[in-house]
Amino acid sequence: MVSKDEIKHLGWLSRLELTTEELDRYVSQIDEIVRYFDKLDTIPLSESEWTYSTKEVSELREDANRVFKWEKLQSLKNRKDGFIKGPKMS
Amino acid sequence: MPNHLYRLTANQVTCGIKNGQFSAQEYIFQILERIEKVDNKVNAFVLVDKQGAIEKALSIDKRLRDGEAVGELAGVAVGIKDNICIKDLKTTCASNILESYIPPYDASVIRSLKENDAIIVGKLNLDEFAMGSTTEFSRYGPTRNPWNLEYVAGGSSGGSAASVAASECAVSLGSDTGGSIRCPSSFCSVVGLKPTYGCVSRSGLISYSNSLEQIGPVGKTVLDVVMVMNSIAGIDENDQTTKPIRPIATLTSEDITKSNISSKYTADQNKRNITIGLVKELIEGADPAVSKCIYSAVDLFEGSDCKCEETSMKSIQYALASYYTIATAEASSNLARYDNIRYGFEYDPEGYEWNTYFSNVRNNFGDEVKRRIIIGSYVLSAGYYGKYYLRAHIAREMIRQEIKSLFERFDVLIGPTMPILPFKIGQKIDDPLKMYQIDIDTVIANLAGIPAISMPIGFSNSFPVGLQIMADDMCEQTLFDVASFFEKIVDVRRSPEI
Amino acid sequence: MVEVKIGLEIHCQLTGLNSKLFCPCQCDYQGEVPNTTVCPICLGLPGTLPLLNKMAVAFASMISLALGCKVQERIMFYRKNYFYPDLPKNFQITQYNAYGITSIGAEGKVDLGAKSIGIRRVQLEEDPGRLIYENADVNANFYTLIDYNRAGVALVEIVTEPDFDNPKDVRLFLDKVTSTIEHLGVCDIKLDGSLRCDVNVSLKEGKKVEIKNINSFGDVEKAIRYEITRQKTMSIREIEIKSETRHWDDARKVTMQSRTKEEEQDYRYFPEPDIPTIILGDQFISTIKTKMPELPDERKIRFLKDYALSDHVAKVLIDNKELADFFESTVKLYPSSPNEIAHWIISDLLGLIDDIKKEERSLLSGLRIEPKHIAELVKMIDQNKINRNIAKSVLSQITRTGEMPSYVLDKMNASLIDNESKIAEAIDSIFELEISAVRDAKQNPNAMNFLLGKVMQMTRGRADPKITLNLIKARLAKME
Repeated sequence: MVSKDEIKHLGWLSRLELTTEELDRYVSQIDEIVRYFDKLDTIPLSESEWTYSTKEVSELREDANRVFKWEKLQSLKNRKDGFIKGPKMS
Repeated sequence: MPNHLYRLTANQVTCGIKNGQFSAQEYIFQILERIEKVDNKVNAFVLVDKQGAIEKALSIDKRLRDGEAVGELAGVAVGIKDNICIKDLKTTCASNILESYIPPYDASVIRSLKENDAIIVGKLNLDEFAMGSTTEFSRYGPTRNPWNLEYVAGGSSGGSAASVAASECAVSLGSDTGGSIRCPSSFCSVVGLKPTYGCVSRSGLISYSNSLEQIGPVGKTVLDVVMVMNSIAGIDENDQTTKPIRPIATLTSEDITKSNISSKYTADQNKRNITIGLVKELIEGADPAVSKCIYSAVDLFEGSDCKCEETSMKSIQYALASYYTIATAEASSNLARYDNIRYGFEYDPEGYEWNTYFSNVRNNFGDEVKRRIIIGSYVLSAGYYGKYYLRAHIAREMIRQEIKSLFERFDVLIGPTMPILPFKIGQKIDDPLKMYQIDIDTVIANLAGIPAISMPIGFSNSFPVGLQIMADDMCEQTLFDVASFFEKIVDVRRSPEI
Repeated sequence: MVEVKIGLEIHCQLTGLNSKLFCPCQCDYQGEVPNTTVCPICLGLPGTLPLLNKMAVAFASMISLALGCKVQERIMFYRKNYFYPDLPKNFQITQYNAYGITSIGAEGKVDLGAKSIGIRRVQLEEDPGRLIYENADVNANFYTLIDYNRAGVALVEIVTEPDFDNPKDVRLFLDKVTSTIEHLGVCDIKLDGSLRCDVNVSLKEGKKVEIKNINSFGDVEKAIRYEITRQKTMSIREIEIKSETRHWDDARKVTMQSRTKEEEQDYRYFPEPDIPTIILGDQFISTIKTKMPELPDERKIRFLKDYALSDHVAKVLIDNKELADFFESTVKLYPSSPNEIAHWIISDLLGLIDDIKKEERSLLSGLRIEPKHIAELVKMIDQNKINRNIAKSVLSQITRTGEMPSYVLDKMNASLIDNESKIAEAIDSIFELEISAVRDAKQNPNAMNFLLGKVMQMTRGRADPKITLNLIKARLAKME
């Protein structure tokens, strides 16, 4: 059973502050959904290769630098003296 | 000048313009007029780039007058799902969080379309961040089904399918993570392709679930879909998961030797003796109104020298759980970047403690997006990774293996695209799990990475029914061969009255 | 004594690359205007995909091999999910080994002589951006300034097993690893922030405490000592030691509890879907092996053999590639006395360098010294053209002026006291003061050197030693 505390913590990890109404609703909906996911429980855990996409080293990007032409770079948000302004750290 | 130019297929448009039957300008004016006339009902477009479209049309006309070459999609009106970046044009993912985001670069597919002289007319509606199967979860409101405006168009590429069905553009691009191109294509009676994973570059596609999704075309005919694929498919240095395409017929070894290996897909093959696997689980799970339609199509195929055989796919039972586990996990991480620092809406961070600022900003996600982020975080959490994510991955490998073995026996696998007919707007919106379950037929191709196409196969209670055809990895050409063959047998092309 | 377990996480920027780890932006951000060496990829703009740098994989493989690791045939990348304002995507692309080994290197070993240190893994990851506070007191700022130029620069993280039991070994290890990285040419270790080190410290059977933000390698030892004392004090007082992350306070030289941030169990690692599994394969690995430059251990063996240096001297030279290179260039110019050259470099030249420079490892950069100077100086000594005392002062002058030793010596000779009467005056006063030494010298010619030294001291080294010695001999002879 998915608990309120669990959903609250996951909300915090995702920086989503849930209202009491959202929290109640998500607890029951997500509980129903992960119960459905329990179908997967019957699958035995095994070594499994991640093969959906593979590349040789030779196919990777060459190490050459290139300037990104960006006329509007300065219009990136919240500029101050070339820096980007962010929220305070404490 | 012919009337109803807006109804033409992409192929008819380029031919008409190149042969001088009408100009790109004449055509695009009709398209823009059509959008103006019907889109307030359909709500497929979220942005129309009138000026850009007209400028492009004029440039094509000028080049033709000057005897210069024009691209293979010259003049074709294309709509783009609003999760694909176009430089200097607002790209919102139908989310409040990106309501004012203007990308500084073109998606690779957009660059290809521009180079081939397609005319990009605007951005198309979708479920927020492509999370949904109905296009109801959009900040712009739902896209309506052109066949019945009270009904959903399907999703998440609802705008991409509805705009083509309503002749607001000739072709469109959508993205398909678990059926998002095929579902609305089925509901709106158009042709929609989910290419093989790695066949089309994802660079510039705003990620929902990176290991599952692909950009793909929607058109009125298989040929139109092929034309768009010839422009956008292939290896791209901006996406390291892309692979070289194989545009050769792979039906029989005899065919391979006979065919001139070309670098382009074609839609003029007239294949016979196709071995078709009819996936039992998909048919049995469908609404009788849908399966009836599929069976009558199968009868037609069998009457045309195709070999149809029922087959079973046991691993399908895990498909939906595997799909939603992987998709939400990847989504929860992909959507972390929206913190409004580098781009986003006006909201000065000064004075806010950073955690508070981030939470305030991210409160602008819609309900379904928040839910999926939390589910995704849940399945990745310490203690649950093995229970959910790792098993979902193993299930995915099982599905891939079983599909692979089926393609040793069959050229293609078929079944319904959607297990149900389109339903009324609002009908399922409050029940997430029920909503997820309608994706059961489409997620298989995304999990296995294989190409799948949805094509109109008929109508049931005056609602469109789509047939889904799946082929082996990188066998797009097989799909086109089979689909164009079926298209000739089952001609259901009609236009909705709006 | 309570047993201590220490493990390290070293971050090394691959400054030898032209571009960042996942995009073509210029890798060198030092001195650039903020937010100019950026592009949609390293800013994490929607729709961008990481494009793995081929050379970064090669460099990381070299580091792995140099640290005795097995280079994996298939490597994968993972996402480490946490929010922080310096992180453009709010996740970091890194590598992870919980579900099978997929980091570039693993299971390595570094030999420290008396013991060896296990290398748990070597992995590639991206650097975050930099946060700048206008007010030095973090709490006094109403906003933070962010520079993303560093975001996406390639880092190699080297994680050791907790095999250290004292801070001294940590220092030895860091010296060796630093030299190895220098020898590989993958990182300019002199650049600010190019090498960083986090530390895990735990008492026997105790919980693990991680210390981050140690800005210089010199402080690593201090931070470990502080943390050991702190934990021991707590355990004596029977206060529970919590598993936590602490920050090194550079100004106060103490470790401080960090503000709550995500902890290890919250990172929700999963495979990065935008980067394929990379197959390194035998051919790639063997090509890298053939391209590996000479490493410190091999170089040391060669130094011992070719130049007959002592173990200690060879180690000091090789712990700092700059010194070792300087030494070899000098020997090339004057091959006759490698030992003398080594001696001049590690005792006299190093003695002129202050500790701050040593900490920054930019030993010779501020000095105007070149191999030709030492080569000439040693040659002059060998030819008895100069005595050691004068050579020392010549050396110190060269480092400031860059002049050749012979030129400096000529200038000095001009002021050298060769006036025999002046030297005789000095000898007279020394003979008066050092009566017993004079008596000894009559019996034992070796004791004459003592008197010579005294005269040199009195004349501040300006007395011509040959003339002085002759005068002393003559004076002693006269006394008999």
